[in-house]
Amino acid sequence: MHRNRRGGGRVRLAVAGAATMALMGPLIWLWQDSLLPEAYSVMDMGYADYGGGRRHSSSEHDAHTGGGASTHGGHGRGAGAGGDVTQLIADADRPADVEVTMVARKQRFQLASGRAFDGYTLNGRSPGPVIKAAEGQLVQVRLVNESVPGGITLHWHGVDVPNGADGVAGVTQDAVGIGKEFTYRFVADQAGTFWYHSHQMSHEQVRGGLLGALVVEPARRDEVTDVVALVHLYNGIRTVNGREGDVHVKAAPGSRARVRVINTEYGVMPAWVSGAPYRLAAVDGTEINGPAPVRDEAVGVAAGGRADLEVTMPEDGSPVRIHLGGPTGVVLGSTSYDAPSVPRPAATLDLLAYGAAAPLAFDPGKPDRRFEYDMGRRPGFLDGVPGVWWTINGHMYPDVPMFHVAEGDVVRMRIVNNSGEGHPMHLHGHHAVVLSRDGVPAAGSPWWVDSLEVGADESYEIAFVADNPGVWMDHCHNLPHASEGLTAHLMYEGVTTPFRVGGPAGNEPE
Amino acid sequence: MKNVYKVLAYLVMIEVAVQAAMVVWADAGFGKWIAEGGVADKTLAESGEAPFPEFLGLMIHGMNGMIVIPVIALLLLIASFWAKVPGAVKAAGLVLLLVVLQVTLGIVGHSIPMVGALHGLNALLLFTTALYAARRVAAAKAAPVTTAAQHAVHG
Repeated sequence: MHRNRRGGGRVRLAVAGAATMALMGPLIWLWQDSLLPEAYSVMDMGYADYGGGRRHSSSEHDAHTGGGASTHGGHGRGAGAGGDVTQLIADADRPADVEVTMVARKQRFQLASGRAFDGYTLNGRSPGPVIKAAEGQLVQVRLVNESVPGGITLHWHGVDVPNGADGVAGVTQDAVGIGKEFTYRFVADQAGTFWYHSHQMSHEQVRGGLLGALVVEPARRDEVTDVVALVHLYNGIRTVNGREGDVHVKAAPGSRARVRVINTEYGVMPAWVSGAPYRLAAVDGTEINGPAPVRDEAVGVAAGGRADLEVTMPEDGSPVRIHLGGPTGVVLGSTSYDAPSVPRPAATLDLLAYGAAAPLAFDPGKPDRRFEYDMGRRPGFLDGVPGVWWTINGHMYPDVPMFHVAEGDVVRMRIVNNSGEGHPMHLHGHHAVVLSRDGVPAAGSPWWVDSLEVGADESYEIAFVADNPGVWMDHCHNLPHASEGLTAHLMYEGVTTPFRVGGPAGNEPE
Repeated sequence: MKNVYKVLAYLVMIEVAVQAAMVVWADAGFGKWIAEGGVADKTLAESGEAPFPEFLGLMIHGMNGMIVIPVIALLLLIASFWAKVPGAVKAAGLVLLLVVLQVTLGIVGHSIPMVGALHGLNALLLFTTALYAARRVAAAKAAPVTTAAQHAVHG
């Protein structure tokens, strides 16, 4: 009887042990399988997606496996010679037209609002200095890291810079450690509103204020009051150019004013105007063709996106308020700035049908590549951390697609959002034109974007010309989402990067 | 192991109560802040910070719900294998199932608010089930004939 009892106990123990293993085994396997190596190249990440176009060998070990079946000669131009990203730079012999040195520090400082904030500064303040250049000028920025732990970079958000100046730690450069520096050079060849921010530990450094505005003025300048309105939340408190409440700007009756709204935040921000109709003159640094006056509609400014709002001041001298996500905003006036805030209009301006249609410089109807960027969400481990993480085309980071293109390709991409939350999608180094949303073709002005808000259950078709060789991030600009795996890359045939995520420089682009 | 099992089950129950408290605390703080002139939009929602302290409640709710409670529920199921308490495995399995359902309902609720209502109702079900699971220990003690003894007699 005793023996039987002990035997039953043993069986029981064995069953309990087996059940525990059956439960924990797969979890432990999934956990260890998700661990990222200490250092890795984004080129080795995930799987190649050629978008139905020509395959090519992109790195040495690819060439050895011979899977690429590369046939060079389709396009004679570009970096087909196998350049790495450090060679993709602006003309080294050309002198700079605009030179700026920026010193980055981690410190406690006073915002323009007077409030103290623990964060990061550039030349002692946050937001950093507004960099102004004229169209076609060569901008040279020397970035010095005085005291930011973990290193920094600067990414020129919306400017189609040469890849070597894109400022992505671990992809186009190493993070700039304390005591080190890096010089960015690029030609500001497109007039418009842009901004810059760190792309090292970006979700934390952008939040902490390592950012600023970049304005490229057109060669032919109109008589217009030009206002930069960079919106950032410090400790959850909304500021415009670091100020709380209203920014007052003098604008004479009957004159025109352009307010360059920059959303440095991680979610879409509505902007609306009271006191006068407005025109949405530009989106993401690109002019809208034939923008009609708008009343009683808000503009949704995507995270990372820009919207230039233009108003003609009323002849009677009454003020105009530009609302930026709430009562905070810019008040344009001459004699009075007493412009009470009004609620957000219920309607949002639909850019799919805004402005006048115009022909494109390329034919998106005959693409060389077609890509799908389908966002979802599922439970699993991301570098060992359990959670419900984002997926791209059903795969979790780092097993995400690497979009391969060759220089000169016309590329179409369908962005589908099945993840249940909106995502502001940001492709580095390129501007893409929106072709359709949810199957409805674009009917207004060509709508060029670098930061596109893709709402839950929405799908967008965009197209662009692959005209800027390099290895480019294509990620969600809700920066915590990027660090939660919503990051893929676009890679050109023949271009490689010597930089690695992780490693001695501690590169951590997201 | 019985005690480990019991403590884990009660922990799930307490955590569900904490979750309910946190979310209403945050909601109340949010309402008060709005009433005092605060304005919210998606940029604020995504900033991970807010100018009212009760926002912390949402952070705790998220961390607890997505990580802490699922881990406790998983440990509870493992403990149930070893606890030698009749019905423990079934009860713990049900707890884990309801936790998975609860996380799913919470996430889907972001895009379909009605599902969020089910998240609230399922919380009550989970609370009750966790209590039921914990009480299996007391119920087993109350019953004079244990399964092990039965095995011994018949074996």
